[in-house]
Amino acid sequence: MSTLELEVPGWSDHRAGQHLDVRLTAEDGYQAQRSYSIASAPGEPLAITVERLEDGEVSPYLVGEAHEGDRFEVRGPIGGYFVWDADEPERVLLVAGGSGVVPLMAMARHRARAGGEAPMRLLYSSRSLEDVIYREELETLGIDVVHTLTREQPPGWSGYARRIDDELLREVAFPASESPRVYVCGSTRFVDAAADGLVRLGYDPAWVRTERFGATG
Amino acid sequence: MGIISRGFRGRRQDGPPDRVPPGQYLTDDFPVLSAGPTPHTSLDEWTFTIQGGAEPVRWTWDEFRTLPSEEITKDIHCVTKWSKLDTGWEGVSVDTLLEAVEHEAEYVVAFCDGGYTTNLPLEDVTGGKAWVAFGYDGEPLEPEHGGPARLLVPHLYFWKSAKWVRGLDLRDEDEPGFWESNGYHLRGDPWQEQRYWGD
Amino acid sequence: MMERTLDGNAVGGLLLELFGVELTAAPCVCGSCGAREEVARLDVYVDCPGVVVRCRHCGDVMITIVRGRERTWVDLRGTRGLELG
Repeated sequence: MSTLELEVPGWSDHRAGQHLDVRLTAEDGYQAQRSYSIASAPGEPLAITVERLEDGEVSPYLVGEAHEGDRFEVRGPIGGYFVWDADEPERVLLVAGGSGVVPLMAMARHRARAGGEAPMRLLYSSRSLEDVIYREELETLGIDVVHTLTREQPPGWSGYARRIDDELLREVAFPASESPRVYVCGSTRFVDAAADGLVRLGYDPAWVRTERFGATG
Repeated sequence: MGIISRGFRGRRQDGPPDRVPPGQYLTDDFPVLSAGPTPHTSLDEWTFTIQGGAEPVRWTWDEFRTLPSEEITKDIHCVTKWSKLDTGWEGVSVDTLLEAVEHEAEYVVAFCDGGYTTNLPLEDVTGGKAWVAFGYDGEPLEPEHGGPARLLVPHLYFWKSAKWVRGLDLRDEDEPGFWESNGYHLRGDPWQEQRYWGD
Repeated sequence: MMERTLDGNAVGGLLLELFGVELTAAPCVCGSCGAREEVARLDVYVDCPGVVVRCRHCGDVMITIVRGRERTWVDLRGTRGLELG
C-alpha cells in the first residue's frame, strides 16, 4: 500500500467518500484507467491510497515507479451517493473489507477535523494484522474501531477472528432502532454479505450505502 | 492524446506485426469479459438449436458430442485491444451443424444463455471459419469463458465468439445483436479495424 | 481472472463526463420490472466492450454505454426514467 499526494490545478474540494479516476498514457498512446477512493479528508492535501497488485498494470506503476514530479490525468471528484458530510447528525457505522477502508478513512478523518459529535464506529475486516491499513492513525481519530482478522491472528489476539456474520454484526453494529447511517465498502462479495446481514438485523436498506470495489490493479 | 506518464508502459508485449492487427496489443492472460452474470447451464438442460430453416434442428449435449469435432489453434482478437496468439480449442464446425438444415439464409444471429446475441453473415461462419467450441487449452471450456460451449469465430473480433451459445437463428437480413445495436460494427474484421459503426 | 460485478459508483466518472452532472445518487426506474434504485445500487459490468448496467432485482439491461472513436453511444431503452435533483 502506498499513499500518493496529488496536486491537481483547478481541483475543487471533495466530499468524504468520493473517488477520482486516474488515466495513464504511455509514449505510444496506450492508455489505462483506474478509479481510486480519495483517502484524505476535505481540506487536507489530496491523497489516494493505492494497493499494489502483483499482476496489476497501473498499481505497480503508481506504487513502484512514479515519483515526485510525475504526471498523469485525473477526473473527479466523483460520487454523490457514497458520501458523508460532517453536519449529518445520525450516528455512523462504517464497515470495511480490506482496501475498502480507504473511503471510510476519509470519512473518519473528516469527522475528526470537523469536530463531529455523532458517534462513528468502524468495523474493519482484514486478513491479518499486517494487512491493516492506517492502523495507528485509526486509534487517534476518536471513533470506535473493531477489527476482525480473518486468516491469521497475532499471539494473544482476543478480538474477532472470522468473517463478518450475523452474530458479529449484532454485537458490533448500532441497534437498528437508533437509525444509523451505514457505509460498507470492499469486494462485491464482502459488501453484499455485510449489507444483507445488516438488513436481517432490521436495518432499512435505504440507510445502508454500499460501494463495491473491483481490484484489477 | 493525454498527458504522457513518464515510465508507464503497461503490461503489453510486442508481437509479430503480421499476426497482431492494427491497434491491438498482445497478452499472455485470457481476460474474462462479461456483460452480465455467468450463466450455469447443466449439460442435462443444454441444447443447441438451429432455427429459421425449413425445420428447427436441435441437439442435446450427448447428441452434440457425437458429432465430428476437431482441435484448432487460432489467434484471437478482442475489440478491447488485446490479442492472444495460438489459442487451442476443440469444437464442432458450424459447417457440420448447418449440414443438418435446409435453408437459404444469408445471415445468422447467435443466441445465448443470459440473453446475449450477435449477428454474422453466413459466409463468416461457413467454409471452415467457425465452430461451436466446448474445449479450451485441452480442458472442458469453463463457464467464465463461455462453457459449456461458445461460438468461435476467430477471424472476427472476439465479441462475435458468443459465450454460452445455445443456437443460431437463420435470417434473410442482417439484424444487429447486442453490441452491434450499441455502436459496434456489424461485421467486425480486426484486419480492417472494423470496431464501430462507420468504420 | 474472475468476472466482476461492480455498481454504479464505478461509472460515476464516465457519467459525469458524458452528462456533466453527478448521477450516482440519481434514482432510476427499471423498464422491465419497475424497481427504483439509485444508479450507485445497480449492477455494473465494465469488463466488456462497453459498460452494461443491469437492474439488481430482475437482471435486465438498463443502460449500455459504448465509447467509439469520437462518439459515445448511450442506450437507455431499459430505463424508464431517471430522477435528477
